[in-house]
Amino acid sequence: MVLWPRKRKDKEQTGGCNPDITPYARLEKAGLTLGTRKVLSGLSLDLEEPRIGVIGLNGSGKSSFARLLNGLHLADEGCVTLFGADAASVRSELPRHVGFVFQNPDHQAIFPTVEEEIAFGLTQLGASKDESRTKALEFLDLHGCGDLAAKPFAELSGGQKQLVCILAVLVMRPAVLVLDEPMTSLDALASRLIFNKLMSLPQRIVMVSHDLSLLTGFDRVLWLEEGQLRMDGPAAKVIAAYRDDIERRSGTVMEAAAI
Amino acid sequence: MISVYLSGDSWAHRLPAGAKLLAVAIGSLLLFRTETLWVFVVCLALVLAAYVSLGRGAVQRLRLLKGLSIFLAAILALHWISGTVMDGVIAILRLCVMVLAASFVSMTTRMDDMLAAVMPLFRPLEWAGFSARKSALGVTLVLRFAPHLMEIFAVLREAYQARTGKKSSWRLIAPFALQALKMSDNVAEALAARGGSQGLTLK
Repeated sequence: MVLWPRKRKDKEQTGGCNPDITPYARLEKAGLTLGTRKVLSGLSLDLEEPRIGVIGLNGSGKSSFARLLNGLHLADEGCVTLFGADAASVRSELPRHVGFVFQNPDHQAIFPTVEEEIAFGLTQLGASKDESRTKALEFLDLHGCGDLAAKPFAELSGGQKQLVCILAVLVMRPAVLVLDEPMTSLDALASRLIFNKLMSLPQRIVMVSHDLSLLTGFDRVLWLEEGQLRMDGPAAKVIAAYRDDIERRSGTVMEAAAI
Repeated sequence: MISVYLSGDSWAHRLPAGAKLLAVAIGSLLLFRTETLWVFVVCLALVLAAYVSLGRGAVQRLRLLKGLSIFLAAILALHWISGTVMDGVIAILRLCVMVLAASFVSMTTRMDDMLAAVMPLFRPLEWAGFSARKSALGVTLVLRFAPHLMEIFAVLREAYQARTGKKSSWRLIAPFALQALKMSDNVAEALAARGGSQGLTLK
């Protein structure tokens, strides 16, 4: 019995996402303002390539752009279409199709133990507690992490934490994985291991990174500057142009203010 | 990030979460009904024995009382000034037993078990159209992240001490509040990224 039924937003109940559609994301003059700051503006592009990198200086809008792709932010200008539907109208559906991996694993983990963290994604999809526990253990075994299952998340190494965060998202079987500087806090070996793991996945990937060497094999790289698309194209070309720009800027005293 | 949960498969881990929560709730109510000193001493001994039975990791968690020591000393001082020292001792023992018992439950109960045990308490909210899962998740998240708040304060205090030589100051309250709010933003965003507090099937 429900005395006051909650208002259901009809738009959000439509199940309008088509995870097989190409391009999976279409931005048309999309812009975003956070507080009083305009963080993105005039972004027009289609995303369909399996591996897309996003580069740019701090504050260029990379993280905000990544958040547009799974509905954590909604554009307040222009139009963002995800999986064939308006992002605002399918916002609540998006976490099922777009897995989001945060820069800092400690900001992503909600549950105290590894197995609970993995199982949470399954309960979110409707599995019972017991079913999600069993499947989480199987999933961890499948990815060679069975020995981590009972460990407290807090006691893992940086690389293990990030791996668990990626698995916690993968267990929900998303079509696209969006990663916001996932290697930032990792040492070189952990970074390479996680990267290799990512590259072996069938999911389409959008990865924000400051480590340009990781993106050299990507199909496409987007270079953002002050919230706008400065360059978009094959990885080698965009990365070379970005490196040149950094080189040029680092020689000027005025740019010290940007640090 | 520190965790209140102590992983293991002890007798206490195997007890149902609901039974543990109920025992602490009833025990706390009974402790407020008595003023007999030996009852408190026995209860404290039993709680301490429960910690010892879990091994070294659990015994280390008794440091929790260290954080409360100033608060406990203040209570005793107030009773001493008002000439009711014995009442002060009883109040302190009552508080110690309750805090340690609650911590013992948090330490030996998985968060999803806690969530399942707490959820029935919020079922009546569903009659009014509110989500029981959302409220239950809120309670369990508070339990989950309370130690992290303590960690945030410890880091701030260390930074303050490194630059001033003093251990603490009221000036830390504002940055602590800001960092706590930032932490709650992070948790909310992490939850939203995976379908929010109601899950992807319950909306």
